[in-house]
Amino acid sequence: MATEVKLPRLGQGMESGTIVKWLKSEGEQVQKGDALYELDTDKVTQEVEAEASGVLLKIAIPEGEVEVGKTIGFIGDAGENVAESPESDSASETASAVEQKRDVPAAATNGSSQGRVADAEPDDAAPQPESGGRVKASPLARRIARERGIDLSQVRGTGPDGRVVAEDVERAEAQPALAAQAAAPAGEVESRPLSNTRKTIARRLTQAWTVPAFQLTVDADMTRANQVVARQRELNPDVRITVTDLLTKVCAQALMRHRDVNVQYTEDALLVFPNADIGIAVAAPQGLVVPVVRAAEQRSVAQIAAVRADLVSRARDGKLRSEDIEGGTFTISNLGMYEVDQFIAVLNPPQASILAVGATRDQVVPLDGELHVLPLMTLTLTCDHRAVDGATGADFLRTVKAFLELPGLAL
Amino acid sequence: MPELSYREAVRDALSQAMRQDNDVFIMGEDIAEMGGSMGVTAGMVDEFGPERVRNTPISEMALAGAAIGAAVQGMRPVAEIMYEDFMTLASEQIVNQAAKHRYMSGGQIKVPVVFRTQGGAGWSPGAQHAQQLEAWFVHIPGLKVVFPSTPEDVRGLLWSSIYDDNPVVFFEHRTLYGIKGDVPEEIEPIPIGKARVHREGEDVTVIATGRMVHESLAAAAEAEKEGISVEVVDPRTLQPLDEETLVASVKKTNRAVVAHEAVTRMGFGAEVAAVLQYKAFDWLDAPIERVGARFTPIPFAPVMESFVIPHASTVLEAVYRTVNKKT
Amino acid sequence: MAKVEAKTTLAKGDLQDVLREMLLIRRFEEKVEERFRAGELPGFLHVAIGQEACAVGVCRALEEGDVIASTHRAHGHTLAKGTHPNELMAELYGKQEGCSHGYGGSMHLYDVERGNIGANAVVGGGLPQITGAALAFQMRGEPRVAVAFFGDGATNIGTFHEALNLAQLWKVPAVFVLEDNKWAESTPELQHSPIRDLSDRAKAFGMKTMKVDGQDVEAVYKTARQALEYARSGKGPVFVHVDCVRLHGHYIGDPQVYRDKDEARKLAETRDPITLLRTKLGVSDEDFEEMDAEVTEIVEASVEFSKNGTDPAPEDALKNVYA
Repeated sequence: MATEVKLPRLGQGMESGTIVKWLKSEGEQVQKGDALYELDTDKVTQEVEAEASGVLLKIAIPEGEVEVGKTIGFIGDAGENVAESPESDSASETASAVEQKRDVPAAATNGSSQGRVADAEPDDAAPQPESGGRVKASPLARRIARERGIDLSQVRGTGPDGRVVAEDVERAEAQPALAAQAAAPAGEVESRPLSNTRKTIARRLTQAWTVPAFQLTVDADMTRANQVVARQRELNPDVRITVTDLLTKVCAQALMRHRDVNVQYTEDALLVFPNADIGIAVAAPQGLVVPVVRAAEQRSVAQIAAVRADLVSRARDGKLRSEDIEGGTFTISNLGMYEVDQFIAVLNPPQASILAVGATRDQVVPLDGELHVLPLMTLTLTCDHRAVDGATGADFLRTVKAFLELPGLAL
Repeated sequence: MPELSYREAVRDALSQAMRQDNDVFIMGEDIAEMGGSMGVTAGMVDEFGPERVRNTPISEMALAGAAIGAAVQGMRPVAEIMYEDFMTLASEQIVNQAAKHRYMSGGQIKVPVVFRTQGGAGWSPGAQHAQQLEAWFVHIPGLKVVFPSTPEDVRGLLWSSIYDDNPVVFFEHRTLYGIKGDVPEEIEPIPIGKARVHREGEDVTVIATGRMVHESLAAAAEAEKEGISVEVVDPRTLQPLDEETLVASVKKTNRAVVAHEAVTRMGFGAEVAAVLQYKAFDWLDAPIERVGARFTPIPFAPVMESFVIPHASTVLEAVYRTVNKKT
Repeated sequence: MAKVEAKTTLAKGDLQDVLREMLLIRRFEEKVEERFRAGELPGFLHVAIGQEACAVGVCRALEEGDVIASTHRAHGHTLAKGTHPNELMAELYGKQEGCSHGYGGSMHLYDVERGNIGANAVVGGGLPQITGAALAFQMRGEPRVAVAFFGDGATNIGTFHEALNLAQLWKVPAVFVLEDNKWAESTPELQHSPIRDLSDRAKAFGMKTMKVDGQDVEAVYKTARQALEYARSGKGPVFVHVDCVRLHGHYIGDPQVYRDKDEARKLAETRDPITLLRTKLGVSDEDFEEMDAEVTEIVEASVEFSKNGTDPAPEDALKNVYA
């Protein structure tokens, strides 16, 4: 059986060599150890010895660059036949596989070195945050803004270079109007053209004002509700669940129980809706908008929170689509974060009712002859009397209160 | 509680270990009769004899290498490298040999050796006797690096380092040798890899090592007067780093300053800042500040030296920058 | 390899064993060269062809408990100290079954159980540690000796001088074996040392020196026994200057462009330690071929063993960094 002469790996890192010339001819007898051919590597030109004795049956590659491990000739007994094409080069595969493994880390290094290098000597100026259309805000400020659905572009930054810091976001959350107004020059009456949203609000609510409406008020003890919200937050760390989300779920469940509140008055008939599509009033920069959480009775509080957060953030960015605000069978308006105790919301036509919610605050409440301090939240329901009667509304509101005070009933 | 100086605390840890354990011995230049260039080993040759308190010639490579060789055979030598700057000479043995034996042998070998050294500027020693080189050694897998800043810490950590089965580079700071502090009656081994919160605060976390721990505490006291509440944390062990404690502190305060006497650029503080940036990104309300020496060798003239190395005022300025206080 | 009772000289029966051992090392190294050229062995390798007598002669002279540290050219010492060819070959193949479990490779061979505390890729890197190991033996009162192998190139480096100085100062039980093959990589001794007799360097430290022809394994053994006894008795370290021959290049594939081809060929003919011993013992062609076939089989089996060995899991790289 003929011996294949393969190009040897003569040094670490050698992947190929160039055959300069063969020192023996085809058909010539060679002894092991005889100089067989001259090889050029990138370090040196040298003679390579034969590793077997016999007749040089064939020179497969007379000259030129060859990969390590490739067959370049055959030595065997006189008259033996040799294959025309060399065998598979498993050795070169191994060599190149070994080389490849070493190449990979180098590539990774190159990739990461393309990142920017910040220069931060303490005696140099502090690094400048990127500008050009981007809001300069600290990571913490961004996170808070994200979680609370606050539009960073509306927040005035007091950090270096006008950077928005956490404090600024918190301040803006408390007084959004003030933050936006800070830019107005003192002493001049400003004339702001009406946006489309504002025109729509004016038109629709004027219309609502003509509807015969009544209001019902009740206080709910939020002790259990707060616990539920806290627990839900623990269970769902990715979504910041709020009281509004729980309220949405509660109202939806209550509406399913009191289907005659989930209605709309039309001249010909009373429309009764199968799902509780709850609108949530949002103070967007362009004005009040009411995106809708569809079929809220079928969603969990966490799911509602996720949908709500998405709608609110898009509302704040002015990116609501028409399908987000169409429909809706009931609306919740929560001014609790503005520390409003109680208010009466204007109906959102054509809906038959709207629930106004104030801040939860500790109140002293007599119970069984003893004074207790309880976290109370005031709920005010406004109803279209053409569609919903007083008792119907009151019954519904009583259920909402019960669900809030014992959330297990609704969830 | 008894009070010891930092220097006495080192001596105490070494002596107590040597009393109870024949395998512990110390070697270094001028450590016997002279008691060491910093007086740390004063009196020890009288108690333990010249075999166990060994003077060596000025050959850092042999000194380090012999300690390593003895450690491989199961002893627990503590080699003193007189000046941190001379760690450069001992480095081949520490980095190429001690750090790698366990790994290269596939786990057959343990190298329970401690290399003690001291460094620090502030007294015009000149550029070759003043360096802080911890950044080199924290970069070598296989080495542990410890840098205590108080008598209690240096005693408890030296004890733990002697009894750790890995090679430990143990940095002392020259200017701290004289400071006094309370220590527990009995040596309480302090775990390697655990930071210490020296001062709690709400507004900004200062992570400091060596001399800068004390500078940072002084800066914190000043900041307090301006209504800024500063938390000061000493990692104590640089490798492995107690990331948990440092990150938790920054998540609490939302602002961080990392302070060391070593050159700022490419220093240990850069690694800490990177870790904090990564793990506390959404909690940062300001860029992470680094305080350290300027990028020069340490100059001789006192006024220049003072300009180059960091002080309490440097830390304070950094603190002010994080809270955007106009100074 | 059977450990025979070490005496001051080798008996004839032992010498047969010694011949076999040297031949095993030779065939092992040749196989390593072959497998490297075939592209099977990662990294780079340095074979000790021609220096077998030094390795075998010294290691045979050691007692239980003595330790050795070697250089980048460590295969001969490692085999002579008792590591099985399977474990050594497996290490070169990077397998878990290797003596360093794939973590070290050719230049970082460790076999602590058998008293091999490590081959070193840094020239002179192991010398101070041998001083240290000997120091430990001295401090603990153990009758053990630490032996360092190194080449003529290493006599120029700082660690050599510091380690010998300290060893002599403290009179530790160490033996420093200089394998003087007259080449530091590609630099001949004439170009790297201003003095001709490297033993003078040890004499400069006041150290006891001994000289021996490294191609005569019997002589090496005898000298080693004397050196070990001296050191073990507490008289101090010994510098053993072994005059030996590196028959191949510095590393596998080294075309030795710097070396006179005729010189190399002549050395191969006249100074091959295996041929020399074989001739001295009068071993017949038949017997030699039989011995050769035996050791070749062992070597080939070690390659099989290694090829069937277990690759470490990539994540194993994260282990063993710290104790």
